Amino acid sequence: MSAPKNDILQGTLPLLVLKLLASNKRLHGYAITSRIHEASADLLRVEEGSLYPALHRMEQLGWLRSEWGVTEKNRQARFYSLTAKGRRQLALEEASWSKLTEGVGRVLRFA
Amino acid sequence: MSWLARLWNALRPTRVQQEIEREISFHITERADELRAAGLSEDEAMRRARRQFGNVTIQVERTRDVDVMLWVDALRRNVRYAVRTLARTPGFTATVVTTLALGIGANSAVFSAINAVLLRPLRFPQGDRLMRISQTQERSAETAVAPIRLEDWNRLNDTFEAISGYFVEDISETSGDFPERLRRAWVAPRFLDVWGIAPARGRGFTDDDYRPGGRLAVLISDGYWRRRFGADAGVIGKNIRVGSAAFPIVGIMPASFLFPDRQVDLWFPSPMSGFVAQLRQATWYIGIGRLKPRVTLDQARANLDLVQRQLAAQYPASDRGIRVQVVPLKDVTVGDVRASLWLLYGAVSVLLLITCTNIAALMLSRAAHRQNEMALRMSLGASRRTIAAQMLTEAAVLALVGGSIGLLVANGASAALRSAAATLPRVEEIRVDGRILLYTLGTTLAVALVCGLLPLLRTGRGVLSTHDAGRTQVSSRNAVQWLLVGIQVALSITLLAGGALLARSLQQLSHVDPGFDPSRVLTFRISGTWNETANYDSLIQRIDGTLDELRALPGVASAATTVFLPGVPAQYESTFDVVEAQGDGERRLAAERRFVSPEYFATIGIAVIGGDLCGRQARSAPGAVMVNRSFVNRYLSQRSSVLGLHLSADSANVPPAAIAGIVADARERGIDREPAPIVYTCFSAPNPTPYFLVRTHGEPTSVAQAVRQKIRILEPTRAVYDIAALEDRIGAAFTQNRLRAIVLISFALTALLLACVGLYGTLSYTVTLRRREVGLRLALGAVRGDIVRHFLLRVLRVVCAACACGLALSIAFARLLTGMLYGVSPSDPMILSAVVGFVMAVATLAALVPVTRAAFVAPMHALREE
Repeated sequence: MSAPKNDILQGTLPLLVLKLLASNKRLHGYAITSRIHEASADLLRVEEGSLYPALHRMEQLGWLRSEWGVTEKNRQARFYSLTAKGRRQLALEEASWSKLTEGVGRVLRFA
Repeated sequence: MSWLARLWNALRPTRVQQEIEREISFHITERADELRAAGLSEDEAMRRARRQFGNVTIQVERTRDVDVMLWVDALRRNVRYAVRTLARTPGFTATVVTTLALGIGANSAVFSAINAVLLRPLRFPQGDRLMRISQTQERSAETAVAPIRLEDWNRLNDTFEAISGYFVEDISETSGDFPERLRRAWVAPRFLDVWGIAPARGRGFTDDDYRPGGRLAVLISDGYWRRRFGADAGVIGKNIRVGSAAFPIVGIMPASFLFPDRQVDLWFPSPMSGFVAQLRQATWYIGIGRLKPRVTLDQARANLDLVQRQLAAQYPASDRGIRVQVVPLKDVTVGDVRASLWLLYGAVSVLLLITCTNIAALMLSRAAHRQNEMALRMSLGASRRTIAAQMLTEAAVLALVGGSIGLLVANGASAALRSAAATLPRVEEIRVDGRILLYTLGTTLAVALVCGLLPLLRTGRGVLSTHDAGRTQVSSRNAVQWLLVGIQVALSITLLAGGALLARSLQQLSHVDPGFDPSRVLTFRISGTWNETANYDSLIQRIDGTLDELRALPGVASAATTVFLPGVPAQYESTFDVVEAQGDGERRLAAERRFVSPEYFATIGIAVIGGDLCGRQARSAPGAVMVNRSFVNRYLSQRSSVLGLHLSADSANVPPAAIAGIVADARERGIDREPAPIVYTCFSAPNPTPYFLVRTHGEPTSVAQAVRQKIRILEPTRAVYDIAALEDRIGAAFTQNRLRAIVLISFALTALLLACVGLYGTLSYTVTLRRREVGLRLALGAVRGDIVRHFLLRVLRVVCAACACGLALSIAFARLLTGMLYGVSPSDPMILSAVVGFVMAVATLAALVPVTRAAFVAPMHALREE
């Protein structure tokens, strides 16, 4: 597997997960990986193993809640959904992300 | 999820782990499905899905660490590891747990006694506000209060909610088939208000009950209610017969109300009427009072002082020179038990300390055995903190198990204490309560810390040098262990010295010549009421008549009465003036005062050494007194003859009495106290219920039945009670001393045993460690005697140093024993050297087995082992 890898920038994974869950009611871990993949048009790739510690940490922080459910293929999977706190966090992260990109953009343009 | 969820997860680790594994395996399965759809084979798809995911084990662990509270998880794992390790050495574990259970249990039991007797307030509402109030007068031993003065105090003070009083007498109740002796307390108005206690059933006293000619009423005790009426609730309104009158029961007091003492059965309202009750000189109440909230003892004292000074100005004839004494009731109740209890507590704590050091030593040798394991774990990356935490956990598990069993031990010991020391004040309040639980938990944690941290001092250093872990080497690392042994020996010496001093005191006491002969004397009392003192002549007639009848009984040599029993600690000091005084040297002579019938001296064997025996006398006649040799020697030695001199006592209403004769000295005030000057007033009936003393030809208790029958015929309405041989009473007076000595000595022996076990263990361990070296030496030609000498010297050096420290400690703590010793100084060289000798001998014995083993090491065997 030597496809060009574009690992997600440290710290942006929560933002992506929150955003995905804001537009989808509930997703399991595998679905989150593939959605990031699809939505970024293959530009971004999540390192699969590190997704789970991150998901559980976000759950501990109260941003997500999880429950066991059944997929369409009739498999048991853990589904994650957004909490009210997670929604607020998303707003914060989006704001800080746009500040970051704007700042970085300005530097790139004018430096 | 919050910390609570993480705590919860830490407690069910397998479940959490399984869920994460399921979640991740779902991910991999989905990925494999996708790859298969893209055309890969089953196996290939699975393999690639796995590879793409990365290291499953690591990710599961990282996820799990997010989900659980890590320190709880570590703790759980440590505890499990500790339990498993301890279960592998059941002998060690059982020994340590048992020792700890006994040590902690004994400590908690003694603390429960201290808690109940000394620390907790009296079991009355706001018991700390209850005070004993007495009147004192410079030249009088009298502390009872005149009823009228008690009323004045109550009316004029502003620091007490209420002041009341009581006095007690033994009477016989005659409504049953036989007259029964009961103890009745006469109580002043406001008595129940002062206690803040209401009757459990029925009503308390009202003002009406105190009015002269008002309603009759009596309250009965819970004990009497159960004993006499079988706890019949319908008893209220029934009558109790005392003498010729019947009194209706109006209420039953709660079982916990045992005041003035445990034996009181009846409480009667004492009317504040009548001529005598108005006399400022007539003193009979023991005063009690309840402080107002937030009033200090000093404020109350100052306040009553002021009140009494006003009274002195108003009634100079009677009240001048009278002072008020206020003492917390708790102090009065607890009395001299305080010192004994603290001594006991000190001893039991030292014992626990020895137990701890012993266990620490055991854990040390265990740690040494496990040095290899520790070294291995450290080289595999375990931090020192991890290992320390694990060893502490091990100690904590041991201590907690020991402590829990110790709590059971304490519970049992409290029950035993209640029955063994039944005369201890407040003994019925001793029990295991929340405070004892907390205390035990605290002790347990302290024990865990000591037992767990001491070995760490060693492993901490030992483990650093991992390179020599594989092979045991001789080094000075045993110093900690020998130090612990030394501490144990020193502390045992301290305990043993204390015990030996107390035992020696008891032995000295039993060799003392009391100056009278307590054997073959029966003592008892016959019920009577203070009413009888209204006509002293008939009271005297009754008691003298009884004495004559008793003397006529077969088996009886003589009979007498006395207020205080000879040799049973009691103090009643008065001052006397010689009426024919030749100077101030013969005034205000302090002396013990005894009221006895003339037959007293013959009955208990005190010789008359000068003059004549006083005769029986009526109250109105000018009295006669006998004085003892000490009195003459101390006060009247210049006079050629003291016979016929008159002594006036401080109670102004008694006329001066002539000295009829001189008697030999006797230890009246207690076997342990030197004879003091005594003035014996010859008066057979100073109160309605004096002690009767009967000297018998045979076993004193054998005539008890005959005495009962005689009194039954003579005075069918009176009860004979409180029957005991004089020797038993004197013995009983020293029960506390004996108990104290026995307990201290048994603690000391236990401590010594523990110290010896510690010494034996440490030496055995040292010998084992040095087997190779000893073998080498023997192979090189060392004599076995040298080996023995070497090890013995090592032990003796430690023991000698410990003995020196122990002696210093015992001398430093000898102060604790003052007042408990008799006829022996706290630094008595004979006792102390005997103790040291004994400990040295026992320690050498304990060392002998391991030393011999060292001497008989087979050199080749030992060398080949490594």
